[in-house]
Amino acid sequence: MAQLVFSSWGREIVDNRRGGDGVTEIFQKKLPVTFDGERSMAAFMGWDGLIISDPDVDVVAMAAEYAKRVQEDYCCARCSPGKKGTRVLQDTLARIVSGQGQEQDLAEIEALAGLLENCKCTLCMTSAVPVLDTVKYYREDYLAYIRGERRAKPAEYKVKLTAPCQDKCPAHIDIPAYIEAIKDSRFDESLAVIRESMPLPAVCGRVCPHPCETACRRKNVDSAINIMVLKRTAADYERQHGRTPPMQPKARKGKTVAVVGAGPAGLATAYYLALEGYPVTIYEALPEGFGGGMVAVGIPAYRMPRPILQRDIDIISAMGVEIIYNTRVGSDISLTELKQKYDAVLLAPGAHRSKPMGVEGEDAGYQGFLAGGIDFLREAYMGKPTGMGKKVCVVGGGNTAIDCVRVALREGAEDSILLYRRTRNEMPADVWEVDGADEEGVQFQFLVLPKKIVVDDNRQVTGVECVRMELGEPDDSGRRRPQPVEGSEFIVECDTLIPAIGQDPELNFITGESGIEITRWNTVVTKFVPQKNAAGRDLNDDMGNPLSRILMTDMDGVFASGDAEIGPLTVVACVGNGHRAAKVIQRWFEEGEAYLTDDDFHEDILSHLGVYDPNEQVAWLDAVARFDQHEIHGRERAAKGNYSEVELGLSDSEAVKEAERCLRCYRVSMIAV
Amino acid sequence: MVSLTIDGKQVSVPAETTILEAAREVGIAIPTLCWLQKVSPTGACRICAVEIEGIDRTMTACNTPVKEGIVVATQSENLTRIRKQIMELILVNHPLDCPVCDAGGECDLQDTCYALEVNRQEFAAEDVNPPTIDHWPLIQQVPNRCILCEKCVKVCYEVIGADSLYINAKGDRAFIDKHLDRCVFCGNCVAVCPTGTMISKPFKFKARPWALRKVPSVCTSCGSHCQIDLNVQGDRVLRVTSDDEGTTNNGTLCTGGFFGYGYINSSQRLQAPLCDGQPVSWDEALGQVTTAIEEVLAKAGPAAIAGLSSPRLTNEENYLFQKLFRVAIGSNNIDSEARYGALRALEALDDVLGLRGASNLIGSIGTAEAVLVFGADPTAEAPAVDWKIQEATRRRDGKLVVANMRQINLQHYADSFLNYRPGSEIELANALCRLLLDKGLADEDYLNLSVGNLDELKSHLAGVDLAQAVAATGIELEQLEEAAEYLGTAATVALVFGADISKSARGVEKAAAMANLAILCGALRGEAGGLFPLDEKGNMQGLLDMGVYPEGLPGYQSYADDAEKFGAAWNAQLPNGGLDADGILQGIEAGRIDFLYLAATNPLSFPNAGRWRKALEQVDCLVVQDILPTEVTKLAKVVLPGASFAEKGGSVTSLDQQVRTLEAAIRPPGEAREDWDILADLYARLTGTPLTLGRAAVLAEVGGLSGLYGDICFVGGEGNRTCLKQPFRPAAQQFKYRPVSGADSGAGLQLLSGKSLFHFGTTTTWAPSQCELVPEGRIAMHPQDAAAARLKDGESVKLSSASGTAYGKLQLSRTVPEGLLFAPYHFTGQGISHLLPDGSNRTAVTVSKA
Repeated sequence: MAQLVFSSWGREIVDNRRGGDGVTEIFQKKLPVTFDGERSMAAFMGWDGLIISDPDVDVVAMAAEYAKRVQEDYCCARCSPGKKGTRVLQDTLARIVSGQGQEQDLAEIEALAGLLENCKCTLCMTSAVPVLDTVKYYREDYLAYIRGERRAKPAEYKVKLTAPCQDKCPAHIDIPAYIEAIKDSRFDESLAVIRESMPLPAVCGRVCPHPCETACRRKNVDSAINIMVLKRTAADYERQHGRTPPMQPKARKGKTVAVVGAGPAGLATAYYLALEGYPVTIYEALPEGFGGGMVAVGIPAYRMPRPILQRDIDIISAMGVEIIYNTRVGSDISLTELKQKYDAVLLAPGAHRSKPMGVEGEDAGYQGFLAGGIDFLREAYMGKPTGMGKKVCVVGGGNTAIDCVRVALREGAEDSILLYRRTRNEMPADVWEVDGADEEGVQFQFLVLPKKIVVDDNRQVTGVECVRMELGEPDDSGRRRPQPVEGSEFIVECDTLIPAIGQDPELNFITGESGIEITRWNTVVTKFVPQKNAAGRDLNDDMGNPLSRILMTDMDGVFASGDAEIGPLTVVACVGNGHRAAKVIQRWFEEGEAYLTDDDFHEDILSHLGVYDPNEQVAWLDAVARFDQHEIHGRERAAKGNYSEVELGLSDSEAVKEAERCLRCYRVSMIAV
Repeated sequence: MVSLTIDGKQVSVPAETTILEAAREVGIAIPTLCWLQKVSPTGACRICAVEIEGIDRTMTACNTPVKEGIVVATQSENLTRIRKQIMELILVNHPLDCPVCDAGGECDLQDTCYALEVNRQEFAAEDVNPPTIDHWPLIQQVPNRCILCEKCVKVCYEVIGADSLYINAKGDRAFIDKHLDRCVFCGNCVAVCPTGTMISKPFKFKARPWALRKVPSVCTSCGSHCQIDLNVQGDRVLRVTSDDEGTTNNGTLCTGGFFGYGYINSSQRLQAPLCDGQPVSWDEALGQVTTAIEEVLAKAGPAAIAGLSSPRLTNEENYLFQKLFRVAIGSNNIDSEARYGALRALEALDDVLGLRGASNLIGSIGTAEAVLVFGADPTAEAPAVDWKIQEATRRRDGKLVVANMRQINLQHYADSFLNYRPGSEIELANALCRLLLDKGLADEDYLNLSVGNLDELKSHLAGVDLAQAVAATGIELEQLEEAAEYLGTAATVALVFGADISKSARGVEKAAAMANLAILCGALRGEAGGLFPLDEKGNMQGLLDMGVYPEGLPGYQSYADDAEKFGAAWNAQLPNGGLDADGILQGIEAGRIDFLYLAATNPLSFPNAGRWRKALEQVDCLVVQDILPTEVTKLAKVVLPGASFAEKGGSVTSLDQQVRTLEAAIRPPGEAREDWDILADLYARLTGTPLTLGRAAVLAEVGGLSGLYGDICFVGGEGNRTCLKQPFRPAAQQFKYRPVSGADSGAGLQLLSGKSLFHFGTTTTWAPSQCELVPEGRIAMHPQDAAAARLKDGESVKLSSASGTAYGKLQLSRTVPEGLLFAPYHFTGQGISHLLPDGSNRTAVTVSKA
């Protein structure tokens, strides 16, 4: 298998050029051995050094090309050392490669690298890192060029601009660019950047769990940039100023697409295909006014006001997307029919079926035992009777469970109680959601596990028998495993019990004869390009799916995305996945083949590598603390019937100041294949 | 306050202060190149790098806020090396054309290199700069001189709001490019450019900066009165500049201020007095005028003599004008174009609020929490007001409500755009008033305190029919409610209204509706915000202050009540009665007026210009005092060449009541004379009193009699020091709500006349720069209307109304709604004003191919 020749990644030097078999963890585990399943990764050059696995790689030529691409393709020119310095760097390296170099040029490269440390952002600054490493560790190669003993051979390089936040964002939004635009008070421009990868900006500006913020380098100085709320600022600005979105779809094309489900994945796929000119028809099981999938019926209106969600949907529709409501694929129209009627079909039905809790009596049809959290939220959202009483227990620790207890208050519950088998620290729900529930008066019972539903003679729920838990050893997820305390059974009184422990996709509409394979986690299997690391292990994403998926199912022309493909995850993951599906479908239409591009592979490689380094020492003055959005406080915000938005965003000027905290951590990655 | 140490000095500054500003507090100058106070810090040049203890890299002082306890070093060997090397990088491929560069001698790059002793170049690179951009009108861009400091981009976007300039391309190929269609040609990019990258074509190669004489002056293109320096050589104004520091306009100018000066140097300027079209001596010309006046006096008496004055003249000149007529001639038949606009606003505001002009300084708009722009296009009518509106709303989170029948530039930044139907202004204002009151958004305590007829206010508003208002204005109720919410929840509100209100047929009532609305939304409450009636003409406020209208005397004293007092002071018996502009027009038509004196005014720009034209042809003796030849000077028996603002001394009063002085920067061309001198000469000839009325004496008399300018520090010497008239401090229950109602919608295709962004009155039609941008008045028409009439963009059309006809080229535009055309009036030869009925800015028209 692949051998490490040289690595300076992370300032850890491993040099096997004169023998030896030193390895690094990055090389062994994080990087694949091939770029695209076929061509091998010969060298990787980036912000933190270089990794060489092919001894024949011309490191000097690669550095020269790297500097050229940084200057000509990526340097924003918005600071003097960056604009001019990388040009001088490029020309100096080009001079050397063309045989016109002198030894003192090497000193100049070093001087330039030093000057680039004064750049405004980190793009040009970090581009000097690998170049300087080549000068330092491949000096002989440079001297060979300078002495005229070497000529550059043609080589193929793949280059990609990234940033820790952008890499971490499942939709890979160009976060530094949209924040930079807000710095300049250019809210329209910011939104345009966001829309390149995110067609639901008002949604993801509000309800995104913002994994990007966990990979924000500003965190290494003080605290992360409020990336999500800055997105909301850009989206709200357009709406509040009554501006018309500027996007114009391309001329209509002939091939048509059907999408199953008007959720984030379906909407994203539809949006990007519609922009390309392909007419898209979305089939949505719920009635008009309830589009949006889990964003609508799974996220309560106090987090995601309906008119604002609807505006994002309407904008997508305006690009040439028809949404047919009240039509459930499987019962109202079959998949086969869709396949016949349209040139391509995308399956994005989401995950709307509550998981069973495994407690005694849950199948007995008791009064007051509700089918599941997600069903409760949907009924409440649609203004239907929920069957809820006055004393409500919700079981679970995720965001859906939290949504349920908070909605229960707004539906008029006198007591809203959350039962969770671990402690607050282990809750998968977002901290701010848990805090929000706390503020609204939700009662928490931690370290309890429901065992049995208690009912009266009328089969009406009167309580739930629970057992107390204690935390044992950590499990696979790293969280300590809860264990029952024997003999600790007790009853929590309630008239309503809502299980909210997870959802699965409902895939009954995919019949056996379609040939579409379903995983044991009830997700749709799609084609992928297998990638292995140097240690021989398959590279997977965080959900355990193969890293580089093409998103076409086993049935030709039928694609899948969203929760039903990934497994239940987040809006932003579904959007990212849906966007890729759109690109693949377009290729399939236009080139007759569903495949991933170099850019897709590069994106996947970087996301597996991880661009963010939590241990990096970031030198910066922490003069300005993070701006958090305004919020309505007090229990009144959760009064019966009060679904007014709780979080209020930032003012424009606060947003600008928050954006000014951004360190604009662009990095350029280059792979020799 | 935050305390820190800079170069060993302790300094304590407010939070959010930058290190650069903190250093300046203690007299430490950190070098900068891209920093510009009036825009957000850019951090592009990196020259202001400083070291902070404990931070393992340099930080830029311009955009790093202070932090408690930090220890900053602004000088070190390392910093010197970094700054020098960055300068060397900036200079890579910078051309050595300093000798022929327009910035030579005033180049920040030169100065910074010199200061940092940058005297060698270690770096070299291929020159990939794009070629010079020459195809933009008025402005040339030389990319290889550019240091990409972004000052131009930022001033264009942040201050002007045009969003025209941007950085194009990547890396060293990057250059400043322009969305030409968005450019308002304000020239601020040229003004802020630290090098010779952005160049004014009209100024290019005209003079070296050090050879120019800078004369402090006031731009009188509009009523904003930006403080400027006339850059002159000999008797020519070669450019106009403005300092960022110490001026109320922060150095910002509009296209009129920056490029509009060209008319001053026009070869067409009137250089000698004319009698019947022939050049004559001043003595002969003034003798003829005197004789003509005396003949009419003898034949028909003073009532047969009339005069129209101008907001182009100074306060002193207007004062002299009215005194000449009232004392030397004995006629009170004096008026001006204010009759068709500013006087209506004055009447209404004085009546309802006791206010004569704006209630506050322009600067106070910038701190208002909400701004309502009603029937005005501040970008065209008073650009400095526009900049402050943008400051309030774009920099300080204020809400902007724009109510207009067509789209204006500011609408782009509006939180609420109330696109009302023509003529429904009163109904819209009343609906907003009612909503403010109904929703409890009006400050009841304030209303109790300030309004004398609160019961009448409430009963009138109770009768306002919101459904009817929705139908009349075409605006949804939710939108009205949202706008009311913005205005009602703001602690401070600025209300700006303009020509669409005051120049319309029911201008007085509409202006009263604005005054009512100002009361309800609390615009008159405090230091921030205020009520701002706009009039596009430079010294309109001064003209009104000086009482150049038959109903009033200087200082808004009533002619009917105070004529005796003034007569005593002037040693004369003032005439009874007096005709206004309409009366004068009728008088000429009826043969009752035999002599008309036009001082720097052109009635062919007045509504129903065709009627005026006939009258001017008809009047026995027409005397025109002006600076450029017009159709009116051609009709005149005697033409008296006056002076432009650059050629005369005197004071002018801005729309926000600030009095500033002009000093003659150059001499008037040929034999032309300062206007006050001409008027004083005539006064002397007619009264037989030798001329002793110098400027100082006029000022003293104005001060004594007007009561307005008494404590103003009129000065010579120091130049254009700004002085404020008395601030507006209404007494308790001074406000008198005036119930107004009804619409004047008008049937059929309507044409609205107004101000162009690029022209200022009629004078700039002689300014080459403005004419390069807009050589003729284009008629804006909605594409749907054009399609219905089978007309195309750019097509020459004939417009006809009940009053007259006009010609022009069409410009298809969605800035006007269907059913409404918009045409600028400046090019009098085009005849737009001929279309308008008496005293109105709007008319029904038919359009056909010319």
